[in-house]
Amino acid sequence: MPRELSVLGILIPTILPVFFASLLLQGALDWVLSHAGVYRRLWHPALARLCLLVCIFGGLTAWLYR
Amino acid sequence: MAPPTVTPTAPAAWVAAQLRGWAATDGERLIFVGRSAFAAFLALWMAFRLGLDSPGTAMTTTFILALPSSGMVLEKAFYRLLGTVVGCSAALVLIALFPQQAPVLLVGLAVWVGLCTAGAAMHRNQQSYSFVLAGYTACMIAVPALDNPSGVFAAAVTRATEVGLGVIVAAIVHDVLFPRAHGRQVQRTVQTRYEGFLAFCRQVLEQRLSPEQTELTHLRYAADIAALESGRAAAFFETGHARSHTRRLHAFNGAFMTALTTFYTLHRLLHRANATSPVHALVAPLHALLAGALADPRGGNLEELPAALAQPAAAARAALAALAQAPGQTRAAIIDGETAIELAERFAGHLAAFAAIYHGLTQQKRLQVSEPQAYTPKTPPGIVLASGVRAALALLGAATLWYWLAWGQLAMSLVMTTVFCALASSSPRPTAMVKQVLTGFLIATPLTLATEFLLVIRASGFPMLVLAALPLFALALWLMTDPKRAGIGIGMAMFSSQFVAPVNLMHYDAAGVANGMLAQMAGVVLAYAIFTVVLPEHTMGNRDHVRAALWREALNACRQRLAGDGRKLRHRFDNRVRDLLSQLNAAAGPTPPVATRAVVREGLTLLELGHAVIELRTLLAASRDGAVRDALQTVLRRLAAYLRAPVTGTNADAVAALLDAGIVIRAGLADPACDPVRAERLHTVLADLHAIYTSLLDQAAPTTEPVASSGAPHAA
Repeated sequence: MPRELSVLGILIPTILPVFFASLLLQGALDWVLSHAGVYRRLWHPALARLCLLVCIFGGLTAWLYR
Repeated sequence: MAPPTVTPTAPAAWVAAQLRGWAATDGERLIFVGRSAFAAFLALWMAFRLGLDSPGTAMTTTFILALPSSGMVLEKAFYRLLGTVVGCSAALVLIALFPQQAPVLLVGLAVWVGLCTAGAAMHRNQQSYSFVLAGYTACMIAVPALDNPSGVFAAAVTRATEVGLGVIVAAIVHDVLFPRAHGRQVQRTVQTRYEGFLAFCRQVLEQRLSPEQTELTHLRYAADIAALESGRAAAFFETGHARSHTRRLHAFNGAFMTALTTFYTLHRLLHRANATSPVHALVAPLHALLAGALADPRGGNLEELPAALAQPAAAARAALAALAQAPGQTRAAIIDGETAIELAERFAGHLAAFAAIYHGLTQQKRLQVSEPQAYTPKTPPGIVLASGVRAALALLGAATLWYWLAWGQLAMSLVMTTVFCALASSSPRPTAMVKQVLTGFLIATPLTLATEFLLVIRASGFPMLVLAALPLFALALWLMTDPKRAGIGIGMAMFSSQFVAPVNLMHYDAAGVANGMLAQMAGVVLAYAIFTVVLPEHTMGNRDHVRAALWREALNACRQRLAGDGRKLRHRFDNRVRDLLSQLNAAAGPTPPVATRAVVREGLTLLELGHAVIELRTLLAASRDGAVRDALQTVLRRLAAYLRAPVTGTNADAVAALLDAGIVIRAGLADPACDPVRAERLHTVLADLHAIYTSLLDQAAPTTEPVASSGAPHAA
């Protein structure tokens, strides 16, 4: 994957769309987890949600900069 | 010496109670201050680390997003990001369309800002903020780029990046660091509302409330419905807020409005019936039953109420039938009695539905809710238009000053004027809000100068900078936690964070800072002047606008397309009337004046009228052609004419049509070919006509009309 994408001549760091993609993925996961009632059993649901986002974003970035 | 009777655990318990009390009040505020300050400095540090162009913007964003609960922060963060991106794009388009043509560009900007501010007036809460932001971000980027159009893209990217950084940092910090969940608060609101409503109904049934108190309670409930909706919108962004919860909260609000309206109609009917009327004696057992069911604070047996009420209702109907044969009873009293029994039954049904939804909400039960409809706000178009025009005029006025005086610093004033004109437009008391912010600016000026030129100038390295700037920011944040002084705190934080925030290459220019401060304050003063001079009466929740809008809503109930069983139309009507009342409440403050209460009374009467009209229309839609149908259509036409032009003549016309329709329906009922199903529907129609008739008399009462005041037994 290139480090920068050219959209209509404007260079965008690839990490930006990756971030949005991870937000979307996390949103989907969030929906599933809150539907299953997982968050109600956790001590700090917001922290868990943030950690999930970090994991997803970190994983995608690691794949990008492999 | 007698041994102390205090057990050893008592002092510990006392200390624990004191600590809990402190934690619930000042402790919360301190945590908020700490959390927000941490977010601000974290954003600043990251902006330095990433080498962004103006780290101050990221920090200011975190101050703007400093709200008490994590749901509110996440909601505002989302809408701030959205508004910023839209505003940046608009600025790019505007500059690309009119490069280096300042007058045309400024006109274009004014149109854009006007449109955005009008859009903001049409929405509520943070959606409205998104519109405001889209307007003034375009102004912030396009104005400095006038002399240097090639730099506009960089400016837009910088702004979006800085705001994005601030938004992400604030959202994470407020969501993770000792968060205060909004969902729990919503749950508490739901519980308070439920218990409050049961107590209110009981008090009214026991006739312990005066009509004025009842009106005020209705006004408060309208505000409460709007508040629950905004709380729901904020809690939506938190973890563990399932989609089904949203649906249940919508259903809760909807069921509450239905029950409240039915209850109001019943209450008005009993209030109107005089002491000699047999109605009171007839419905007394029903009321006793209702009040008994409401007396249980948990409302456990409310769901069986309709079944329990069926038998007494039948008995009351039989008594009424016997009474109708007896001489000396007016027809009006009989119809009053019929309507009262019907309303009591209907109220029991609505109350049971409301209780079922409440129990589903509190016990997290799965509940089949038949597609509840969302709360839809409604702002009178006059106010929307006035907000847009005012914001556009403010921008044009400030821009004219700036452009023809060619005074560089005024660009800052121009931006500030636009910002505050747009922000205050969605507030019911814009001048009070701008004044508070201005006070914040004034307090912040000496403090900022002292902090900048006595402390920050000596700071070397980031930790020292934090130490130098912390006292000022902490003071501003502490003021923000006080609801009465929140505006002052926000003003202070916005102002000081812009001037204290260091740039990458620090330079200390006292004259430049003073100029900038003066320009910003001049901008806010100009915004204040514009609010007092340009259309000062056309602000959110203005009485006359709300009143006109209420009449228009009633007219819409007569004319708008009716689909299916009319549930959608009824919900929308209910919703909009309540939203208008909640705007009225926001503008009136804690003690509404007499004029406001008159509008509330009018609104509630129109609410009753509108509901009767919608029910009449659903019955009409299912009916066959014939004399009854024609008569009812005439009623609707005359009623629409009256609602369009509420004067004495049209009122009399509508009343005459109602009386004619009453005669036709009586004839239809007397017809031997009339089967029981049709007879029941005709009875419902009669009850509706009666409700409309009494509402019309209420409206006409101040003008003392011959037809209305004659008190003749009417045919309906």
